[in-house]
Amino acid sequence: MRALFVVAILSISLPAAAKEIRVFAAVSLTEPLQEIERGYERAYGVDIVFHFGASSLLSRQIEQGAPADLFLSADEASVGRLGKLVIRRASVLSNSLVIVVPKDNRTITRPVHLLRARRIALAEPSTVPAGIYARKWLQKIGLWQRIAPNVIPTDNVRAALAAVESGNVDGAIVYKTDARIAKRSRVACEVPRAETPGISYPFALLRDARNGEAATKLLAYLSTKGARDVFAKHGFLIQ
Amino acid sequence: MTLVVRDLALPLSDFTLEVSVTLSRGTTALYGPSGAGKTTLLELIAGIRRPQSGSIELDGRVISDLPPRLRRVGYVPQDDALFPHLSVRQNVFYGGAAKSGDIVDVLEIGPLLHRGVQQLSGGERKRVALARALVTRPDVLLLDEPLAGVDLALRDRVLEYLVRVHEEFPVPTVYVTHHLQEVEAICEEMVVLERGRVVEQRKV
Amino acid sequence: MTGEELQILGLTLRTAALSTLLILPPALAIAWLLARYRWPGKSIVETLVALPLVMPPVATGLILLQLLGRRGWLHRTFGIDVVFTWRAVVAAMMVMSFPLLVRAARVAFEEVNPRLEQIARTLGSGNARVFLTITLPLAARGIVSGMLLAFARAIGEFGATILVAGNIPGRTSTLSLAIYNLVQLGRDDEAFRLLAIAVAIAFLAVWTSEAFLRRTHDARRS
Repeated sequence: MRALFVVAILSISLPAAAKEIRVFAAVSLTEPLQEIERGYERAYGVDIVFHFGASSLLSRQIEQGAPADLFLSADEASVGRLGKLVIRRASVLSNSLVIVVPKDNRTITRPVHLLRARRIALAEPSTVPAGIYARKWLQKIGLWQRIAPNVIPTDNVRAALAAVESGNVDGAIVYKTDARIAKRSRVACEVPRAETPGISYPFALLRDARNGEAATKLLAYLSTKGARDVFAKHGFLIQ
Repeated sequence: MTLVVRDLALPLSDFTLEVSVTLSRGTTALYGPSGAGKTTLLELIAGIRRPQSGSIELDGRVISDLPPRLRRVGYVPQDDALFPHLSVRQNVFYGGAAKSGDIVDVLEIGPLLHRGVQQLSGGERKRVALARALVTRPDVLLLDEPLAGVDLALRDRVLEYLVRVHEEFPVPTVYVTHHLQEVEAICEEMVVLERGRVVEQRKV
Repeated sequence: MTGEELQILGLTLRTAALSTLLILPPALAIAWLLARYRWPGKSIVETLVALPLVMPPVATGLILLQLLGRRGWLHRTFGIDVVFTWRAVVAAMMVMSFPLLVRAARVAFEEVNPRLEQIARTLGSGNARVFLTITLPLAARGIVSGMLLAFARAIGEFGATILVAGNIPGRTSTLSLAIYNLVQLGRDDEAFRLLAIAVAIAFLAVWTSEAFLRRTHDARRS
């Protein structure tokens, strides 16, 4: 339903000119992409329009026909399920997970302390990449069964961050890159990369892109050193 | 009884009601054309409306600053105002009073008690409304055009009941009407009201 | 219906019923004051009461989040945890359905002939007895009609609820939230099943609500 709504709205607002690139991107990529956008738009005279959200939701919207040129996803599954709708892909980035707690919280310093938490916010652990990564990690270290009843699922990883920022949950598991913009919460501990499932951000060019040429150029640019430096600056890991 | 209305004033839409009058007879008619303010005066005495200034005394007791329930005034409005969701019995005894068999008998509403209010005829409604007011044994009874809306054929019968009540339960009564024949049938004194002022007061 | 669907339905009906019962006393009180009296600040109260009807539900939800969250006034004063629990669901339902009940109750009170209340007072009743024996019984149908509307509104509540209660399966997943969730997850068939239930309940509630009003008007005309 929401996908159809998005399609309707986006269709109404699409201008005839081909100088616009529509990019559907995982919400955790917001800050670096906005920085890249500024420079790229000035340099190449195009208008990049971002639509940020949970990769799983974006994937569904693309599948239902929402107009997009590029899909910058936070996990392979969201791109994989699009099958032939994807004509090119590149995996440039990775990330790591952290446990974030409200600034005044002293009780959680190690992962096992999550058992003490009454409420832990995660992006929806069954579909949203950040939530899936977090769940798989917790399953791997054997804490998931006991923590699951206390999980507050949110629509995307930034909503999980917002929950812990508001103080309404005792902790949240988000990307390390998300924690950098936290104001009223802080990182309690990092999830060791050895224990995390592989986090990968595939960038995809879509078959039904309306502005395929400009989109291809942008996709290539995102792999260049200039773009990679911006991502690294914001805490992403370069593969 | 003595009902003293002293400098009672209330601005209305067309004129200002200004009344000073003393009623000391058993039954006083409040007579006058439509719109003269007769109903308003009754409402002021009953406590349903508040005057802008002035006072009302009943048997030496100032009642004008009391809520209606403490004034011991019985009021039968023009439209009866029977409670539609209660039975006749519940209406009649709403004010309390277990020992009111005599009122029920005089007004002959015994057989009506179990009925719903919607099942009453016009004349029956009047009797029930009257009984309801009498049951509380008020110090003064205010009747607003008791025969209004009653079929001509039945008017005499209802008048009969009023006379009978007057005889059995001599409650001082203020009787609003604009029919002279009713005045002459029941009332001992008449106060004429015109555009909110008393223009005449005389014995009948 | 599956066990999960029954649980969602049960949670929705229980919270909506509780919400409607909880708003009844204050709604009647305010409706009564609005119907019968004039007082300074009355128009401000009227507007405030009507606000949840026109404000975006998520905006109302945001305000509730501030008030009811752990850093909010309620928790700091009473230590009650509301956000992300069923209590937040009830709170959101209460706020969003309150204006509907006040409106219906006010109209119901206004339709009670004041003359009847006045007579009751001359017969010796104080304000409380007049209200309980005359006003309330005569306004009852309109009030019940309003309660059914408020109940239906509570069941359909989404925007404020999702902000303050989240969408926690088993604890705060109401009918509307569950439908949203299932659509997000791509489980459209299950979403449509819940949708059918939601429509059936809403239809029944509103139809009954109107039936109560119809009987009131018919009675009045006869």
